[in-house]
Amino acid sequence: MTTAFDTLAPGQTITGTPFSPTRESIREFCEASLDFNPLHWDDDYMKGNFGRTHFGGIIMHGMNNFGVISKMLTDWLYPIGGRQRRLETRWKSPVKPGDTITPSAVINAVRTTEKSRWATLEVLVKNQRGETVASGEAMVEFPTAS
Amino acid sequence: MTAPAFETDFWKDAALRKTWDQIIPGEPRKTLPYVLTLEAIHRYCRVVGDLHPLYFDEAYARNSVYGGLIAPPSIHILLMFSCTPADDWMRSPGTVNAGQSWSYHEPARPGDTIRLEARALDKFIKRDRLFVVHDNVFFNQHDQVICSGRGWTIRPA
Repeated sequence: MTTAFDTLAPGQTITGTPFSPTRESIREFCEASLDFNPLHWDDDYMKGNFGRTHFGGIIMHGMNNFGVISKMLTDWLYPIGGRQRRLETRWKSPVKPGDTITPSAVINAVRTTEKSRWATLEVLVKNQRGETVASGEAMVEFPTAS
Repeated sequence: MTAPAFETDFWKDAALRKTWDQIIPGEPRKTLPYVLTLEAIHRYCRVVGDLHPLYFDEAYARNSVYGGLIAPPSIHILLMFSCTPADDWMRSPGTVNAGQSWSYHEPARPGDTIRLEARALDKFIKRDRLFVVHDNVFFNQHDQVICSGRGWTIRPA
């Protein structure tokens, strides 16, 4: 049984690996995710307006950001016997080629239930200007059987 | 039998896809079973810079609590498009992802045959934007839940 859970406390922070999308990486994400929405590859299309939003150029998939956050969680959890059980995200600002985004998370609660042990975290992703591009919450489990 | 090639031109079937007006919350979406390959897992992992040995090193994974290679939790990003047909409204050009919420149970593994149950759950207008909430559950070939989740998208007007 992993003892890592006993060392967790609200306020502890984890930081993920920075990610710097390029036009090429965004195209590769299209291929890997099968999401070929023109938002992510068509410069002419992106000159237009989307209702009340004008992006001004292609944008990274929000789900690429989701994958970067998820990697932060699993990089932290796998070595200490934890499991990613939930991730909720809200996309606040578009991420564009040339940006660098860095995810982080802060433990806000730990909880033991009848059958397992849990922690919840606030998640933030910021770009190189310190702007929040995504926020969310995660829940992780430290099974008593592992 | 080989799987049909994935249509990467999202404009091609645009006229067949349901618009915000036509989407009925509660109505199931058409889905397709999909065999998740190790190659597809690796392609996804490399793009997000995730080279963890649980996804790449068979001996390491076999000796872990997982007992073999797995896919990262976020593999549902690929599964969403691989388990839906070309006329699914998630492919409508201009669909903007506003947020996602996913819960994870069993890890997906290379060789799994993945099944999706999906529907629109809700639609609403907020700040002059047309939203649809979609609701999805992915299962493996043993009918075990891999993950379940919701997404909030802004639909093209």
